[in-house]
Formats: sequence, C-alpha cells, structure tokens
Amino acid sequence: MSKPSDLLQGTLDLLILRTLSLEPMHGWAIARRIQQASKDVLQVTQGALYPALHRLEQQGWLRAEWKPSDTGREAKFYALTRAGRAQLEKELAQWERLSSAVGWVIAMAEE
Amino acid sequence: MHPERWLDILRLRFRSLFRRGAVEQDLERELRFHLDQETEANEDIGLTSTDARLAALRRLGGVAQIQEECRDMRRTTVVENFLQDIRYAIRTLRKSPGFALVTVLTLALSIGANSAIFSVIDGVLLRPLPYPHADRIVRIFFRSREFPKFPFNPWDLRDIRDRNRTFDALAGITRNDRQLSGIGRPERLASFAVTAGYFRVLGVSPRFGREFTREDELPGRGKQVILSDRIWRSRFAADPSIVGRSILLDSEPFTVVGVMPPVPHPGNYYHSIADGDTVDAWTPFTYDPKNPGRGSHYMEAFARLREGAGLAQGQADMDSQLAQFDRERPGSMKGWQAVVVSLYQETVGPSRRLLLVLLGAVGLVLLIACANAANLLLARASARQREIAVRGALGASRGRLVRQMLAESLLIALAGGTLGAAIASIGVETLTALLPVDFPRAAAIGLNPAVFAFTLVISLFTGFLFGLAPALQATRSDLQQALREGGRGSGTGARQLRLRNILVVAELALACVLLTGAGLMLRSFVNLLRTDPGFRPERVLTAAVSLPNAKYRDPKDGLRFYERLSHDVGALPGVRTAGLGSDLPWTGYDENISGFTIEGKQPPPGHQFRARYHLADEGYFRALGVPLLRGRFFTEHDDMTAKGAVIIINRTMADSYWPGEDAIGRRLTFDDHPKESDWMTVVGVVGDIKDAPERASAEPALWWPLRQMPIYPSEMCIVARAQADPAAVADEVRTAVAALDPQLAVANVRLMDDVASRLYSIPRFALFLIGLFAALAATLAAIGIYGVISYSVSRRTREFGLRVALGANPGDVIRQVMAQGLKLACAGIVLGTIGALALGRVLSSLLYQVSAADSATFTVVAIMAFAAAAFACYIPAHRATAADPMTALRAE
Repeated sequence: MSKPSDLLQGTLDLLILRTLSLEPMHGWAIARRIQQASKDVLQVTQGALYPALHRLEQQGWLRAEWKPSDTGREAKFYALTRAGRAQLEKELAQWERLSSAVGWVIAMAEE
Repeated sequence: MHPERWLDILRLRFRSLFRRGAVEQDLERELRFHLDQETEANEDIGLTSTDARLAALRRLGGVAQIQEECRDMRRTTVVENFLQDIRYAIRTLRKSPGFALVTVLTLALSIGANSAIFSVIDGVLLRPLPYPHADRIVRIFFRSREFPKFPFNPWDLRDIRDRNRTFDALAGITRNDRQLSGIGRPERLASFAVTAGYFRVLGVSPRFGREFTREDELPGRGKQVILSDRIWRSRFAADPSIVGRSILLDSEPFTVVGVMPPVPHPGNYYHSIADGDTVDAWTPFTYDPKNPGRGSHYMEAFARLREGAGLAQGQADMDSQLAQFDRERPGSMKGWQAVVVSLYQETVGPSRRLLLVLLGAVGLVLLIACANAANLLLARASARQREIAVRGALGASRGRLVRQMLAESLLIALAGGTLGAAIASIGVETLTALLPVDFPRAAAIGLNPAVFAFTLVISLFTGFLFGLAPALQATRSDLQQALREGGRGSGTGARQLRLRNILVVAELALACVLLTGAGLMLRSFVNLLRTDPGFRPERVLTAAVSLPNAKYRDPKDGLRFYERLSHDVGALPGVRTAGLGSDLPWTGYDENISGFTIEGKQPPPGHQFRARYHLADEGYFRALGVPLLRGRFFTEHDDMTAKGAVIIINRTMADSYWPGEDAIGRRLTFDDHPKESDWMTVVGVVGDIKDAPERASAEPALWWPLRQMPIYPSEMCIVARAQADPAAVADEVRTAVAALDPQLAVANVRLMDDVASRLYSIPRFALFLIGLFAALAATLAAIGIYGVISYSVSRRTREFGLRVALGANPGDVIRQVMAQGLKLACAGIVLGTIGALALGRVLSSLLYQVSAADSATFTVVAIMAFAAAAFACYIPAHRATAADPMTALRAE
C-alpha cells in the first residue's frame, strides 16, 4: 500500500475538507484547486487522493453525486455533509494547535 | 449526534456489499474521468495526445493499485474476503470428501457428546432451582460427630422460628401420608405435615384459598388440608369452589383450605420424596402441649434467608440459637451443632462431582478430536504445499493464507457442530432415560437455546483450535523450497512431523487417561454388583398398607388385621412366602435410633448403645431372603402372651456390642429403671443389609416382633416372594387387601428388583458414559497414529521401494516402521499413565472398593493401548513392504 509521500495523511483529509467547504467538486478539480491554492507548493499525489476521498465518504463526512461537469460530461462530485463540516472545524482547530506548537518549538530553538 | 451520518455510512456499506458491481463501475468511471481531464489539461499546454495521456497516467499512478486501495476504504473487504474464503474452502473440501467426512464425523460425535453432557450440567447445576429467589432457600440440620445431618424436634424448631433474626420464614415438614377415601377408589396421597409458613419458604402462593397459619397448629384445629394441583385435577375435576369442602382423609373429615399450583417438592431425606416430584397434599403439623418432649427428632427444616442475609449470617444466628437452648436446658446441646446449607447445594451437591467428571471426560474427547482434526489438516496441508506456495508467490499475504485455511477448519467445525447438535438431541434423550428418575433435577434436563449456544461456541472454538496450528505451520514454509520440491512434499518434513508426533502422543495420552478412568469405573461397578446385598431381591413384590386410626381404634383390631393380611398374602397361589415389616431395605431410612442398656455392659465413655429399630413379623426375613446367622426367626408364639419380649438383631449389632461372644440369649432394655418384664432377649442374628450397596458398612439394627407391639403401627410393608413372576402377583395382593378391608389403599407397589436396579443406575450411568467416551477417544487416537504412520510411509515410498528392490528383508521394513509408531505409542502411554495417576484423586470418591491407582487397571489399559497402536501401525507398515520398486520410482 503506498502512502502519500509529501503530505501527512491527516493533512490531506484537512485539505480535502477545506477545499470542499467552498463548493462541491470532482476529484480532478480538488487536486487542481489544492495545487493552485498552495501556489504549486503542495503537489497532491493523485494516487492518494481517491482512496482518501473514498475513505472520507465512507466515514460520512462527504456525500458523492454524479452530476454533469463544466464540459457536460458526468463526473462524481463530492460535497461536505453536515457532519463533515463539523469534522472540518475540529480538524482545523487541531491543525491550529499543531502548527502553533511547532512554531513555538522552532522559535525556542532559534533563541 | 449526526444521525444522518450513520445512515450515510450504513447505506454505503450495504451498497459496497450487495451492489459490488455498480460500485466498481463507479470507481472505474471516476478514474477514467480524472485521466481524461488530466490528458486534456496536458494537451492544453501543448503536449501531443499520446504524451498527454502517458503523462496523465504517470501522474495518477497504478490504477489497479488505487482501485484496490479504494476497495480497502470500503471496510467491507473483511466480509468479502471471508465469503470468498468460505467459497474456496467448500470447493477444496469437495475435492477431498473422504478427509472432510472423517473429520466432520469425528468432530460431530465429540461436539454432540459435549453438548449432551452440557445440557445435563445446564439443567442440573447451572439453572436456578424452580422457586422465586431460590438462592435464599436453605436447609437447616443438627449435626453431631455421629450424625452429619440430623433432623429437628418440633419444639426446637418452633422456638427457632420465633427467635431467629435472619430468616423471612422457617418451617418444618415431616412425611405423613394420608389415605383419601369416600370418592371413588381409595388412594394413598403422598403427604407432608407442615408447619405454618412452609410455602412462604418456597415462595409459592396457593392458587386458591390460603396456606396454614399458626392457629392451624393448635391441637384439635389440624383437620385441614391443602391439595396439590395434580390431586385437585385428577380427583376433584379442578373444582374451583373446592375451598371449604370437606373430604375424607384416613377416614376422618378434613377441610380443604387451599389448592396449590404445581409445586416441585424441594426433596427430603426421611421417607423421602425426590426433589422436583409432586406431593399430593399437605396437612398442618399440630403442636400438642401435652407432649412437649424434645427427644424425638423428625422434622426437616427449610428456611428462607432475609434479603441481604447470607449463609454465614444464617449460620451465626443458628449457633446463637443453640447456645440459648444450652443455657435454658444445660447440657442438652452437648456435642450438637447447627448446619445451614443452601437448598441448591443440598439438592445438586452430591451429583456435582459426577457431572463435572463427565464434563471433564467429554472435554478430553473433544481435545482428542481437535488433535485428530489438526493432524489430518496437517497431512493435507503438506499435500497442498505446492498450491499454498504458488498462491504465496502470486502475492497472497501470509495472513490471508492463514485466514483461508482457518475458514476451512471453521467450516469443518461448523458442519461438525450442526451434525453434533443433531447427535446431542438424541444423546440427551438417551441420557435422561439412563438417569434414575430421582436423580436430582433430572426433569430440568433438556435442549434449550443455552445448549445450542454452547454447541456453536465450542464448534467455533474447536475450529480455531485445530485449524490454527496447521495453518501457521503450512504457511511458514519457505516458498522457493516448496516450489522446488514440488509434489514430492518432503519439504517442511522435520518440523511438521514433530508437530504431528506431538499431537499423536497427546491424543494417545488423553485416550489413556480416559481408558483408565473407564477401567476404574468398570472395576468399581463390578465390585458393586458382586457385593452381597444381604437379601435376595429377585421375585419379590412389595407394597404398603396403612390403617386409619379413626377406623381401627382398638390396637388389637389393627394387629389382627396385619396378622391376617400376612397370612392371606402368604396363602396366595402365586406367592411362595410372605411377611410384613415396618420398612424395606434400600428404600431410604430414617434415623430411627434409640439408645438402650445392655445387661452387664457399659458403653465406652461418651458413647451409648444404639441401633436402628424396625418391626417384623415371622415371615418378613424369609420373604426378603435375609439369612439367619444364629438363633431363630420370630414365630407366631412371639406375641403378647409369650413369657418375655424378644428381638432379632443384625450381625453388625452383634459384632459391635458382643464382640467375640454369642449374642443369643443376651438381654437389653430401653427402660432406665427396668422391671424384669422390660428386658428383651436376643433370639436371632440376621445378616447385614447396608443402607445402600456402596456404603462401607451396615448400621446396627434390631427388630421387634409385630405381635408384641402394644399399639399397632399405622403403616406396614408387605413383602411377597413370588413363585414365578412377581409382577403378576400385584393384583392378587390388591384383592387380598380389599377382601379384608375394601376402604384401604394399596400403595407403593413395586418390585424389589426395580428398587435394587435404581440404586445401581447412577454408577451404571457413569460407567456407560465414561466407557463410551473412552471408546471414542481410543478410536480417535488409533486413527491419529494410523494417519501419522501411513503419511510417513507414503512419503518414504521411494526409499522403501529401493530398499526392497536392493534385497532388504520385508520384516526389517515392517519392524522399522512399527518401531517409529510404537515409540510414539509408548510416549503417549507413559504420559497418559502419569496423567491418570494425577487425575485419580478426582475419581476416587466415585469408586467402590477400587484404588484410584489400581495397578491391574493401569496395566490392562497400557496393554490395550499398546495393542491398538500396534494394530494401527501395522497396516501402513505392511503397505510399505508391498511398495513395488518400479511404481515407487515412477511415482516421483
């Protein structure tokens, strides 16, 4: 089983939830959006994206629906559920805690 | 918190499980869409369509892998794989039906036996007694050095009832059968006289009417009766207005004050009725102030502990009650203590050990069957070595392979369990038929959901137990080596063979333990059968008759009736000889014990001369076949007109009180200040009859002649030794009784043979089952050793073929193969012998006149086990010599 190499798994979940909090999207668009929004810093390993999407769907955070895309072709659009929105809040709070903690440690090391 | 989330999850799981095709299609479509989008985007930045496609594929990664990962995310792979494993297991098992059949059958037999025994354990030991809060019901006894469980006298009982602080209710009962007459055929009712509150102890309320109160215990008030459900239905047509009606009991009017729902009797000792049986009627026990003596102990005490009070509190309370008695009447409680025992313990305690031994034995059988199945699986696994290796090479993980093989063993075990449940249902019927009817709680035994749950659990457990080791073993092997060796299958040899050898040794050892147990039981049973009962039960019919006091007011009338009855029965055409006695051997006893003075002797300090006392007429001993050792039997001249009172004693009494002397002509008296006429002379010594055949010794006993009784006994037993078939005499006896008094019921008509056989039925039951289990175990162990040896022979076919071709002596080959098997057998037998010696202690209380380390039994078992093993080894050994060198070589 391959693990996403450049992203912690929990982080990928957070990015997906955050991206979908704007609007429902299909998988390819999600990957694109993450990449663009991070100014090309975050290259989502596309191979890891789909298992993650499926997992989040199985956990009830996302709901998927086949809908026509911009090109008119049917695509599988993922949307946040209410539970997913709550989960996003939780993960965001956690991320804040984690990143500020890391920040303190680094700041301390610089002193 | 988010119910819709759980609905989502549920919907998705269902979809993944049952609409698997659609889900897979979705995934493919989703990934295709992604690839197309990516390709388009690549084309937009100027790549050729081929390059754009390739770049997109590279970016996405292995599609098959992503698909597999997505499948994992669905969380249903466990179930899917399991179903797949099961399907696969069914396929492979179908390919080797012989293996499947043998394993399933052996497992089914042992699982079935386990379930059947469990159903007995469940019914007898595990289920609570059939009363509300039954755990609070206790029995209370007096205890002394000589009498471990002695009944109460009524006045002590009444005092304790008033004074105790730990019991919600406390009551005494004493057997007091009544004869119902005045409506239809007279019938003797199994009845008890009970003190007030007896049914509160049991926690059962009357269906109609009320239970007895303390007012009912007053003299002159006691002519009331509570009827059982059975009698109410069978004799009074379930009359709902029966309360208040008067009925004739013992020719006297009694008022019906209540009708009980069906109440299982809690069981009692003196003139006992077995637990769970029905009692027909209850009358109030009457306290007569004119008779306040505390010397006669005949009340059996039952009590219900207060909520929150335990046995220890009850015991402490009783201890202080006895101390109080001792203060009130100094010395009266010397040597006596009180015992409080739970009714449960009292009911099932005696059979507990036997049942646990049976459970242990049948558990051993199951272990052997597991070892056997594991052995067969191992043999199969080595034949499938190559297949397993190939599957491993194709990427199956070890865990997956183990799961797959476990699925197979579970499948076998479940099939065995299903068949086992069927066997158990037959087994339970057989078991209950084998049990004596008065076996405690026999009525509660049966198949129920608990038994089936047990069957399921042990099936799964055995499946794991016998499947795990082979599965781990089989998948541990080195892939390359297995593939290289191919079908030759000598690869994982040494290690696997060691495991199989261990299993076979264990099987043999366990089988030896069981065989030894069975052997000891057999010897014990034979000893029991060989024991001289002290009388000759064959062709003896017995019955009981009781005379209502109200009708036979003059003692002479009663005695005259008995004399004529004895004479008339003896004169019946089918009867050879007949007599009357106060009781019969082996039908229970009571502590009817009296102390007496022996002329010219002093009892040892702290002891008194005592003996059980009985009544007999001149025909009693002859009809029962009790041998006369010295002196004479009673004659019709031993009556009130005779010069002196006479008695007959048993051998134990003669040996205890006149050791080394002739007891005939010696005298004893029950009077503290005897007149000359109070002395009774021993005129005969008869053989001993023990209380039950397995008792170590008989109790001292004496008999008074019926004709010398100042008052007639209310009940006597008829003993009739028939010319031929005793059952055919029953009607003649009834007619003879009716000819004397048509109002009398003839009760307890039974054959002495049946009485005797009932006493043997528990040891017979134990022997039968242990024997059955041992036979099963031995067979399984023989199959096991056969399997291992024939497997090792088949692996060495080439070697044997070559050796025979090179001129080896077939005898040498046989010897070599046999030696290999018999080495295992010896190891198993030695271990089994050690195990049996260690477990012997458990059995010893169930054995009669056999040591648990009986060397003869151990030797015979060892020889038998060795012989069986030798036979099991000989078959494959012989086959080894038959190996044709050419075929053997070609077989490679």
